Amino acid sequence: MEIIFDKVTKNYGPINVFKDLNLKISQGDFVFVTGASGAGKSTLIKLILNQIKPSSGDVLIDDKAVNHLKNKNEIDKIRRKIGVVFQDFQLINDLTIEENIALALDIANYPAAKIPPRINEVVKLVKLQHRHFLFPSQLSGGELQRACLARALSIEPEIILADEPTGNLDPANSWNLIKIFQEINEKFNTTILMTTHNMDFVDSLNKKVIKLDQLEHENI
Amino acid sequence: MKIFKLTLHHIRRSPFQSLVAFITIFTAFFILNSFLLVNRGLSAVLGYFETKPEITIFLKDGLDQATVESVQKQLASYPDIKEIRYISKENALNIYKETNKDNPLLTELVTASVLPASFEVSANNPKVLEVIAQDFSSKNQIVDEIIYQKDVIQSLLNWTLIIRRSGLALIIISSLISFVMIFTLIGMKINNRKEEIKISRLLGASKFYVKRPFILEAVIYGFLGSLTAFLSSFLLMYNFRQMINTFFQPIIFVPKLGYYELFLFLAELFAGVVISFLAGWLGARRYIKW
Repeated sequence: MEIIFDKVTKNYGPINVFKDLNLKISQGDFVFVTGASGAGKSTLIKLILNQIKPSSGDVLIDDKAVNHLKNKNEIDKIRRKIGVVFQDFQLINDLTIEENIALALDIANYPAAKIPPRINEVVKLVKLQHRHFLFPSQLSGGELQRACLARALSIEPEIILADEPTGNLDPANSWNLIKIFQEINEKFNTTILMTTHNMDFVDSLNKKVIKLDQLEHENI
Repeated sequence: MKIFKLTLHHIRRSPFQSLVAFITIFTAFFILNSFLLVNRGLSAVLGYFETKPEITIFLKDGLDQATVESVQKQLASYPDIKEIRYISKENALNIYKETNKDNPLLTELVTASVLPASFEVSANNPKVLEVIAQDFSSKNQIVDEIIYQKDVIQSLLNWTLIIRRSGLALIIISSLISFVMIFTLIGMKINNRKEEIKISRLLGASKFYVKRPFILEAVIYGFLGSLTAFLSSFLLMYNFRQMINTFFQPIIFVPKLGYYELFLFLAELFAGVVISFLAGWLGARRYIKW
């Protein structure tokens, strides 16, 4: 899955977030998106998910301008190929972790018979095999973030968008999570787009970086 | 997670709201079914009177035998006459005494001479009775008074009409209440589960996918409400069947089970499901904006 931002400008009323932003993310890339608060990190993710529309320019996913798609089903189809990990987890609180994962799989039209083995597979991958039957309120921050990653991974996405996934975690849990992301990227060639404030990860890992503070007219 | 499981999960998560929806549907359909069963009984009462048309012609005193026989012949000449019975003054006294046997004071004072002789005429076609009533009402020298069942039927018909119209109004109002109640309740449930819907949409769920559990939930209320309402009102009515039928004797107010009940059962289930489906669907359409 290839993502291209073609001269994307986004304004919230009089506030300009980006102006003529050009960028390209190819299949298998691991990209960090950095920048101060309000630089537009979350806006970037929302634009890819078509939660918001650009003020001008196009967001292309596999050569389709998602902001111009008239058919809502097309947008849903694209979202089903994207795994999302949120800073605030966004798990459904009255469903267990495995039910949360099952819901994502059901939405992605995963065959019913294959759902339980797939859940087992992903909870093992994120090391939650003994906690998947618990509710989100019964898990720690690190476990919740891994549960969120398990849900994102379960649908075998072509890309994972992670919006400050380590924002609520202590350093040890943050590094564990980053290692899992790296493993997924290397093992399954899944594209990872991660927004972060943590420059330690960015500096330690030799990955592509999009610095939103410096963008303006710079092309990436 | 399958839709049915998710729907049951929604129901369990807000049991009191679910109970209110169920009770509303149940009440509406209980009223509907009770009304339909009573209406059926009323139709039987009406039918009974309609198929037993009768007119009573009271004769003046002092008529000779020849005049009485000529009246009888005249009555017999009408078409579709079922039966003509002559009640002489003596027979009238016997009937009076039999009716008032528990009250000797009334019977002691009455003799055959105060009671009029009469003809009781029944016909297969009620229209004939109307013609007889018109013809004989002008014969003042022979006829003292005419009592025609039509008045009874008319009065019964009026009452039945009032009951049927009130029942119909009640059905419309209770269906409307059920509809609005489910519509509002689904709206509340959607609002309660706003985050879940937003998350599902972000995961790629179509609008129909997120609407489905709410529509199914509404349909479950409609189905269960109409089913239990039918069974409870039906069982109540049939439990007291013998008592009700004895009261209305010889009319069978609550008949034996037949195809009508089966039809009623299926029609009510269908109506319950349709009303709740529409309310759920419109509610989901109105409130799911994400």
